[in-house]
Amino acid sequence: MNRRRRTRWIAIIMVCVLLISGCSIWPGQDDSASSKKVTLTLWYWNRSIDDKLIARAKEKFPNIELTAQKIGGDFKAKLKTTLAARSGEPDIVALNDWIMELFPSEDRFYNLYDLGASEVEDQYLPWKWKQGVTPNGQMIGFPMDTGPTALFYRADLFKEAGLPSEPEQVTRQIDNWDAYAAAGEQIKEKFDGKVFLTDNIGSVYSQVLSQSTERYFRPDGSFIGMDSPAVRKSWDMAVAFKEKGLLANADGWTPTWNAAMNNGEIASFVGAVWMKQVLQEAAPDTSGKWRVARAPGGDGNNGGSFLSILKSSKHPKEAFELIRWLQSPENQLEQYQTLNLFPSAPGVFDTPAMKEEEPFFGGQATGPIFAESAQHVPEAFFGERYPSVHNIITRRLNDIAKQNADPQQVWSDTVHRVERELQR
Amino acid sequence: MAVTEPRTSPESGPFQPDLDRQKSLWARIWEHRALYVAISPFYILFAVFGLFPIAFSLYLAFHKWDGIGVMTYNGLNNFKYMLTDAEFWQAVGNTFMIWIYSTIPMLFFALIIAFLLHAPFIKFRTLFRVGYFLPNVTSIVAVAIIFGALFANNYGFLNYLLQSVGLPVVEWLNAPWGIKIAISSMVVWRWTGYNAIIYLAGLQSIPQTLYEAAKIDGASAVQSFFRITIPMLRPVILFTVITSTIGGMQLFTEPQVLVGNDGGAGAAGMTIVLYLYRESFINNYFGYGAAVGWGMFLIIALFSIVNWKLVQGKSS
Repeated sequence: MNRRRRTRWIAIIMVCVLLISGCSIWPGQDDSASSKKVTLTLWYWNRSIDDKLIARAKEKFPNIELTAQKIGGDFKAKLKTTLAARSGEPDIVALNDWIMELFPSEDRFYNLYDLGASEVEDQYLPWKWKQGVTPNGQMIGFPMDTGPTALFYRADLFKEAGLPSEPEQVTRQIDNWDAYAAAGEQIKEKFDGKVFLTDNIGSVYSQVLSQSTERYFRPDGSFIGMDSPAVRKSWDMAVAFKEKGLLANADGWTPTWNAAMNNGEIASFVGAVWMKQVLQEAAPDTSGKWRVARAPGGDGNNGGSFLSILKSSKHPKEAFELIRWLQSPENQLEQYQTLNLFPSAPGVFDTPAMKEEEPFFGGQATGPIFAESAQHVPEAFFGERYPSVHNIITRRLNDIAKQNADPQQVWSDTVHRVERELQR
Repeated sequence: MAVTEPRTSPESGPFQPDLDRQKSLWARIWEHRALYVAISPFYILFAVFGLFPIAFSLYLAFHKWDGIGVMTYNGLNNFKYMLTDAEFWQAVGNTFMIWIYSTIPMLFFALIIAFLLHAPFIKFRTLFRVGYFLPNVTSIVAVAIIFGALFANNYGFLNYLLQSVGLPVVEWLNAPWGIKIAISSMVVWRWTGYNAIIYLAGLQSIPQTLYEAAKIDGASAVQSFFRITIPMLRPVILFTVITSTIGGMQLFTEPQVLVGNDGGAGAAGMTIVLYLYRESFINNYFGYGAAVGWGMFLIIALFSIVNWKLVQGKSS
């Protein structure tokens, strides 16, 4: 009997150990029992916050026990899984430009306005600030870096083709997409079609669209329609670039793109400030030949991130103080110097650190160009379905560029596909 | 007769009274609880990571869920959308084409390799076996990146070879068939050795006496290959066809790494699982993704049965 009972207990314990080891159902340390330190967990991805800044935050806030976790792999998927599981959520989390996908779940985040965010609102770019506010007026994301766009171009190739090559001249003379396309035709002719004006059709479409005040949805969530002037204009321009033979069909983030840049087959592209880093790593052999001018057609923004506080956090006040300090204008400036993260606080745009000459760009100080661009980014509403609609359109454009599909046919297919998507 | 018959079955015989049968199921389980506890870890893990997700995905297939918010009942709408979605059917078509492009050469080469490895004149056999099996333990992501460099449109190794012999460049990754060939060749490269090892095991189990008898009767090598080797290998071939059917229908990493979440130009590399992944994890239609998973289950089941009938064919 005794042996039997022991066996039973061993069995029960074994089963419990197996169950518990799989999931973390242990409650966190009781705050009152331990010291008075507040424990905060921060999730971020590599190069979104400088590790040295996090180390300094730990000194600056002795009352906060900060656990900063660099989440590798698919950050968004991990965050969503954690939110769905309602367990093991961090206190503070960095969100990328897909922040709008989380707007329907705004109740899972603290409204930063309730924690005093409005005190610092005037220190940040208004369009950036609004990207962190849901249509219901809940502010779930605090501005981190931004991605103002400009025209990256090869001054040597422009000059050889008889085009203006100084940044001021380029900004002045190539100030709209038609002039830019005409420049492309001149380059194509001069180099016998061996040099293309720009990289790919999706980038033309997205950049034209990013300069407009409209995307696909109104702030009330309704669909503007595929015949919205902004969408039509971007589509037509992208197709025109393909028909004029100005595209190298090199997709971003591929070895092909890197090679085309490094071999001088692409003379220019409109891209965000963070493309500086990407370009320098992709095309080391072209160092000194690139310049940056204001983008044709106006300024826009690509990407940029935010910091949020999850509702599950027990210490939102401390978390907000920490966020506010991490993203203070001074610290954003420091992040610009260490990680090339472009500040969303225009107050620091005028500092010498933002005007440093860059050898890769032939000694040009590109900072002021992007600073000017950042201050003129048009405000636009995205909506939570922006990514899926945008993706459908750019995907279809690729069929035109790479498979010579009939643009008219592809357009009507795309309209149909987007309508179907919205009915889901 | 039936009334008086004891509950023990006649097969168990008088020396196996099988008294257990007279007790209820639970009583029997209780009696052997120590054994059940000993085997429980597998069942617990399977219930948590296998059974529950399967059951949950069936539930999810009838709901609309963005992965975080509230689930709402969606009836059969997910399935309706799937059946009327041109992209889904394209993914099904792509998957089958890639399966055909890859499985036929793969099993053909595997058989030849196995036959050669089995031949008595081959030296360093173990070395070859290890060599052929190595691709199978290589990381798929690494393989896909290397194949991406081989097939790249502008600076790819294949195009370099074509150019150096004066042939025109092929834009592999812009053409629908090019993408499919690139993906298939990855599958062939990775799985031919694996199947060859399985065929080799099959070959080794064929009694040598059959070949000797055939030789005495004057059969040629080709005749004994088609009359002895192939029929004797039939169960092994059936096994490889079924496993490569299941594997081929579940193709994901190769296209995802090679051409991205949207399946590349013209969605030519969009497979069913890649479609499922994109709809769930990129577009956040988790309910729909679950429905696609069940659609895929049906397709694989049907297709496996068809294959089984075809390959087993006349022998049964």
